[in-house]
Amino acid sequence: LSSNSLTLSTFLATLATLLACLAALNFAVVHLTRNSIPKQVLARAATSKADSVIAIGNSLIAAGFDEDAFDRGFEIARPAGSVNLGLGASAPTEHLLILRSALRNNARRNTIVYGFYDLQLTEPEIFHTSDLFGNHAMLYYTEPAFGARFFHQSFHDRVEFALMRHIPMIVERGAIWAKVERFRRKLAELGMGKELNNRFGRVGDFSLLEAPVASRFASDCASANTRSLNSAVNEMIGESSEHGIKMVFVEMPMHPYHVRTFYGLPEWKEYTAALRMNLASKNAEFIDASRWIASEQDFADHLHLSPRGAREFSERLGNQLREP
Amino acid sequence: MTLTQFKQAVEYLGGAEDELDWMPQLSNWWFWGIVWTALCTLIYIFSGQNSKFIYIDF
Repeated sequence: LSSNSLTLSTFLATLATLLACLAALNFAVVHLTRNSIPKQVLARAATSKADSVIAIGNSLIAAGFDEDAFDRGFEIARPAGSVNLGLGASAPTEHLLILRSALRNNARRNTIVYGFYDLQLTEPEIFHTSDLFGNHAMLYYTEPAFGARFFHQSFHDRVEFALMRHIPMIVERGAIWAKVERFRRKLAELGMGKELNNRFGRVGDFSLLEAPVASRFASDCASANTRSLNSAVNEMIGESSEHGIKMVFVEMPMHPYHVRTFYGLPEWKEYTAALRMNLASKNAEFIDASRWIASEQDFADHLHLSPRGAREFSERLGNQLREP
Repeated sequence: MTLTQFKQAVEYLGGAEDELDWMPQLSNWWFWGIVWTALCTLIYIFSGQNSKFIYIDF
């Protein structure tokens, strides 16, 4: 019995082995996620010195802004072209951090294109710890103290944020979970019909990001009308103005279903009219491109443009911005 | 670990056997350190399944 009893020294040795293995696992996660999507976008932002136009936003910009087509429309040639810094599943705070990274390298920018949809510009950002995975992980490692000023967290979540940002395994947990989720989806498809996917995920899932019914969207517009611009959006306008760069807010092309169901509502028209005035008062330009793409074939799902739709939209946007 | 030992371990874990002949001693600290690491890693990898993945390009 004595040979099989647990002593303090063996317990501590076991614990030390566990901690050493977890430290090794952390190094493995750092290595595996060294080229995660947010890190790639931040690297592009930091190194794209020649590009005079930067496009920022969430996945609607990532999928919908075609650099070559825009440059054609804008009549600029490489190396002084445009750069797409869109990041899927992101919010204005991440866009602000990407913008700051792009402005920090002293490149000569003259225009910032910020693509948005629905109520994105006026929605307050509230993050729980459970929300901060995937591309939101960049909030843990990109100017965390500065970024935290632009989103709300409970005291409990703030403490967790401060502790968790030092542990790569936890910061990048979404990248590991996504691999498991992809594997689970493959298993779920065994013997079943194949789900329709695009570069961001399952096509059907993106309709979950729309309001369930028009009446709900109308009441959301009415309450958004009482709010001012999101603080990260305000900061982006301020920073672009400081650098003497024109900021253009583009209401991104939406699927004909979305336009038909939501954008014909009087509440939406009222909301965008107020938004347009609000942006104009801050010397920011507003372009309504929501109806530019009329064919369903030019959309990859209810929110994102297909490559062909992106080419058409980007060239037209370039054209419009070129004209004085 | 031999195939026989693995079979015995699975039977022990499943309750088909009451004893495991080659059960490592508690004093075998490196073995138990690795067992705990394996458990922590499994929990870590699969603890995201309650998250709602709409976007999955991380």
